Amino acid sequence: MSVEEVFSSKGRVKILKILADIGELNISEIARRAGLNYATTNQHLQVLENHGLIRHKKFGRIRIFRFEEENPKAQMIKKLIEAWEQANKPEST
Amino acid sequence: MPQYFSVFKDESKLDVNYIPPSLPHRGAQLSLLDQFFRFAAESPGKMTQRVMITGNIGTGKTVLSQHFGFNIAREARERGINLNYVHVNCRECKGSLFMILQRTILKFYPHFPRRGYSAEELLQGLMQILDEQNAYLILALDELEALIRVEGSDPLYNLTRVQEERPKAPQRLSLICILRQPECLDALDPSARSTLQRNIIRLEEYSKLQLQDILNDRVNLAFGHGTIFAPTVDLIAELASSEGGDARYAIELLWRAGKYADASEVREVSPECVRKAAVSVYPVVRKDMISSLGLHEKLFLLGVARRFRQAGTAYMSMGEAEDAYAVVCEEYGEKKRGHTQLWKYVKDLSMSGIIEAKASGAGHRGKTTLISLPRVPASDLEEELSKALM
Repeated sequence: MSVEEVFSSKGRVKILKILADIGELNISEIARRAGLNYATTNQHLQVLENHGLIRHKKFGRIRIFRFEEENPKAQMIKKLIEAWEQANKPEST
Repeated sequence: MPQYFSVFKDESKLDVNYIPPSLPHRGAQLSLLDQFFRFAAESPGKMTQRVMITGNIGTGKTVLSQHFGFNIAREARERGINLNYVHVNCRECKGSLFMILQRTILKFYPHFPRRGYSAEELLQGLMQILDEQNAYLILALDELEALIRVEGSDPLYNLTRVQEERPKAPQRLSLICILRQPECLDALDPSARSTLQRNIIRLEEYSKLQLQDILNDRVNLAFGHGTIFAPTVDLIAELASSEGGDARYAIELLWRAGKYADASEVREVSPECVRKAAVSVYPVVRKDMISSLGLHEKLFLLGVARRFRQAGTAYMSMGEAEDAYAVVCEEYGEKKRGHTQLWKYVKDLSMSGIIEAKASGAGHRGKTTLISLPRVPASDLEEELSKALM
């Protein structure tokens, strides 16, 4: 997956941002926070997972997604988002 | 700026949820618990344990379990064992196994989805999490009566048998069941009962001397030096022991007496402060009790208290209580709940002992539930509730 493919979709970036912020989450909650519908969220998650950026854990019917710790690209994206968000925060006086 | 003097040095040590570093007069029970669960800190996974703690209000059931649980979990961690102690109050969970398991899982996975799954799925999920994290769990179910009343035998049966479906896997889930009356287990079916009734720790009510020791411990932790003396502590112990050896009542009395002293701007908690406090604390209506009620339960109870204060009668019918509640709802701008929900509140409130409810018998036209308020003056209850609703 090329880098522009990841970052060209606003939905995907939103999902990555949520996962970087929260750590791990189920689809419905990701969809709610990203303001996307379930099917779209599911598609984005699948794309991201197919490219090894995220992975999921299953508890019966419950799927919980998180960043793939073992993929250096995933870790770099996570760090980028974290650094970006940090820089956006207003400086405390 | 004027300097305010307080008799307290650390008020939080008198909070109902505070766990003191030592438990006077519960050493024997603590070491019994320790023996029951020794394996958990030494060779976990080989077996699980189920222990029942029973005793009246304020005999130290909750604090005993928490004190033990947090200590053993810490000890196990030092040995490199991932042993967790989770304490859940079944009444706060409205007697629902789903909510109990959800609270438990959230300790391991703070973002676990909050709805959409059955209690059975959650139980399987919990076991899977324990397996994945190689963790062991001692789950304390406080006020177990609520769970039995709402869901019957099945939850306990499932919790005790979940290991049997996985015979070769390590045993990970142990239970501490905390309840007031062991008789409520009679409502369980025999198979669920037999798995629980092996290890019972019965806590007797505290004597006056024991209460004195407990109070002295708390005085040292919470009050400034020279602000409260032995005769005052004796008086509190005396009052609490006449209320059935209720230590929680004694501690609340101690706290209130301190508050009265602060309010009257004196530098010592005198027996007079205790007497004033005793008038305002009723053993069944304590602030922790009131704060655990839901908004509409409070509103309903406020309606009942007001009606009793105004009418001066001993009993009121369900219909009258509903009318009084409707007025209170209007006052607080809340949409009123329906009859069935109110009837559930009446059942819950009478279980907790604030009100009493009985079916109207002969001499009444039709059939209704008669509510009475035998233990608390209506005006005091009204005052407490109004404060809580502010």
